Amino acid sequence: MQDTGKNIIIAGVGGQGILLFSNLLSKFYLKLGYQLKISDVIGLGQRGGGVESHFRYSDKPVLSPFIKAGDVDYLISFEQTETLRFLHCLKDDGVIFSSTYELTSTSVNARLQKDLPESKTEIIKRSENKTFIIDPDEHKSPDFYINKMMNVVMLGYYAEFRGYSHDDMIQIVRENVPEKFVEGNIKAYEIGTTIAQGELAAI
Amino acid sequence: MEIGNEVAAMQMMNGNEAIARGAFEAGVKVAAGFPGTPSTEVMDYTHQRYADIYCEWATNEKVAVEVAIGASFAGYRSLALMKTVGLHVAADALGGAAGSQINGGLVLVVSDDVGRLAGDDYNDCRHYGNMFNIPVLEPSDSQDAKDLMVKAFEISEEYSTPVIFKTTSVTCKTTSPVLIDEDYTYEAKFRDKYPVTFSKVIMTTIMMKAKGSEHPKLTKCFNDFVANMKRLAGDSNDFDLNKLELNSKKIGVITAGTPYYYVKEVLPEASVLKLGLVMPLPEKKIRELAEHVEELYVIEDGHDVLEKNIKDLGIPVTGKELFPKFPEMTRFTPDIIEEKLVPDAPKRTPQEGVPFRLPVSCAGCSHLFIAQLLRKHKIKAAADVTCGLIGCFPHMEAYSLQKCMGSSIALTHGYNIAKDNKENFVAMIGDGGFWATGINGLMNLIFNNSQSTVIIVDNSCLAMTGGQNVASSEFGFNYKPENKLDIAKVCEAIGVKDIVTVDPQEIDKLEDAILNAVNAKTNSVVIVKKPCVTKFKLAKDTPSYIDQDLCTKCRKCIDVGCLAIESKIKDGSVEIVINEDICTGCRLCSTACHFEAIKS
Repeated sequence: MQDTGKNIIIAGVGGQGILLFSNLLSKFYLKLGYQLKISDVIGLGQRGGGVESHFRYSDKPVLSPFIKAGDVDYLISFEQTETLRFLHCLKDDGVIFSSTYELTSTSVNARLQKDLPESKTEIIKRSENKTFIIDPDEHKSPDFYINKMMNVVMLGYYAEFRGYSHDDMIQIVRENVPEKFVEGNIKAYEIGTTIAQGELAAI
Repeated sequence: MEIGNEVAAMQMMNGNEAIARGAFEAGVKVAAGFPGTPSTEVMDYTHQRYADIYCEWATNEKVAVEVAIGASFAGYRSLALMKTVGLHVAADALGGAAGSQINGGLVLVVSDDVGRLAGDDYNDCRHYGNMFNIPVLEPSDSQDAKDLMVKAFEISEEYSTPVIFKTTSVTCKTTSPVLIDEDYTYEAKFRDKYPVTFSKVIMTTIMMKAKGSEHPKLTKCFNDFVANMKRLAGDSNDFDLNKLELNSKKIGVITAGTPYYYVKEVLPEASVLKLGLVMPLPEKKIRELAEHVEELYVIEDGHDVLEKNIKDLGIPVTGKELFPKFPEMTRFTPDIIEEKLVPDAPKRTPQEGVPFRLPVSCAGCSHLFIAQLLRKHKIKAAADVTCGLIGCFPHMEAYSLQKCMGSSIALTHGYNIAKDNKENFVAMIGDGGFWATGINGLMNLIFNNSQSTVIIVDNSCLAMTGGQNVASSEFGFNYKPENKLDIAKVCEAIGVKDIVTVDPQEIDKLEDAILNAVNAKTNSVVIVKKPCVTKFKLAKDTPSYIDQDLCTKCRKCIDVGCLAIESKIKDGSVEIVINEDICTGCRLCSTACHFEAIKS
């Protein structure tokens, strides 16, 4: 069936390269001829604040820059506290892609607020939505610093899940990442597709 | 134009990029501003992409507006950029330009931080439109932003008035397609109509003293700005930028900005008046809509400005009684409209107990060192705006007083005067705040014989907004080494008795410098000099780690307020750890640990 468009929330914390992720994805959908609206919500401070990107592509002009709760097709999250913040926004058949990375909230560190009593990963897994959990620690290697590259790893993962052309996506990475980082990013992309292939084969 | 060409000329732009493009297509010659989230990038994009436009970061917003007024008087279209809290600083300058004759179009791009996304106070720049009787335009998306910029300059010249171009955190940070005229060739628009222009204060004084006089010396000063605004209000009924869409007879909505699109999505059947010019109002169009529908709503971000202005026309409209404003709501979302106006819409409940995120300083930041020492020695202090204000938040509690940009020096002076200089109350200010208006506080403090200590954090840029240049930076749009200002020399010239410059990384020296200054019983300045770790991507040292066998979980290290130090649950018990991806190896936390548990 022809894809008429989707609503995606991309979430995480400052410094995780979320804006690059959404920028690369936007180039891909533009090449496919879709209309887009992307709204970035960035918290105070240079680092560590919550970042959310409302990413909408459609074959018709996109109206609201914000996606209504209940209208999200894909939640792509790089930090699992942030995943929880948007769980309720998913459609019944919406899909979650969530990293198990966690940056403890300042308010919890400073004991101004209690953290959730149970594992966030378990809460996410319990969701009624289809859920893909990616644990960066499982894919760590001495020559690949996965925490710094999670954005492009996730891009590869998402592209594999959607069945997109990896050649097209890698071309976009090549065109939009500074020369000296191209090789590392392509490697990250390929690691993402490999992880996804393993997960999808298991379903 | 063929469809194929249109698609080819479509570019994805966020609101800030589109405004820069609009300024270019309007033939702007001079752009001056002061950084402020969310609109800072307007200037950055203008400078990067449109070399024909002269750009500068001014020392503060008032200066920026004055530069733009001067350029406008010289006959060229000019733009001033700031956020609404900055317009408070520049309000006197705007008041001078309002009601006076305009040569080159004069537009103030002002952003309201709706939703407190970036942590600003709840402001609404449209109040200045009402107060000064000047037009306010507001775009709904990037295409609108580009088109309305060109229109804003035309309105400014045609109706001889400065114009406020209002954006919000949502319009600034939303990317959507913009149709670009790729064949456009830049030309700086020039219009030299009035040989003199004065503020309306002078103009009205002359007019009142010599009412009815036709002498050319009087008439050349006179600008009937009230009549201009009435003419604009009348004409605005025919402007395309105020778009009336008559549909259902049940619900009608008057709206502006991004809420227009929320309304279109949630209430596709509604009749809508989308205002591009939010001030003055197109009365005829509003009445036409009011007569067409059974229920009339106003949906606007910010304060109830449109609502009050519509009610002032004698037209009943429902606004804040249905959609209560701050603190119930900080900005509209499609969800809020749906909840109130779509009775059967399903309700979604967020996951309970998800912890919120307080803003945190970057690991290795100078501000963390200063906050740590002030706390250690129980020195009471005032903080300023920008990165240092993070020290005021409850996870750090390093400061007891904090107000607006550049204020901490004068606040401290006032406190010390009132307390007869018996407490060593200290001011902390960044280099941005110092040059913005803090320098006035310092001059005031000296010639009024204060005994106060001022800590100036020199990180070579305005860090909070992404690292724009200040007067003492070694880079910038118009940077020349010989014209760089020197904080220490300026303090010396102003007459500060004791001035010392230290690197916070040498924490013992920093401690001595602060204690000596505080105890000196004279006026003193401690300049804490280290480039911003984030802007200048400073080299990192080996990350520190916590020896769990030695850690008593006293959390003294967490009190430092560093983003890298986290409390985690491991196997059911709490563990304090250092995030090695974030740690810069600055070792500040190891000075806070009483048990030598933090190692490198």
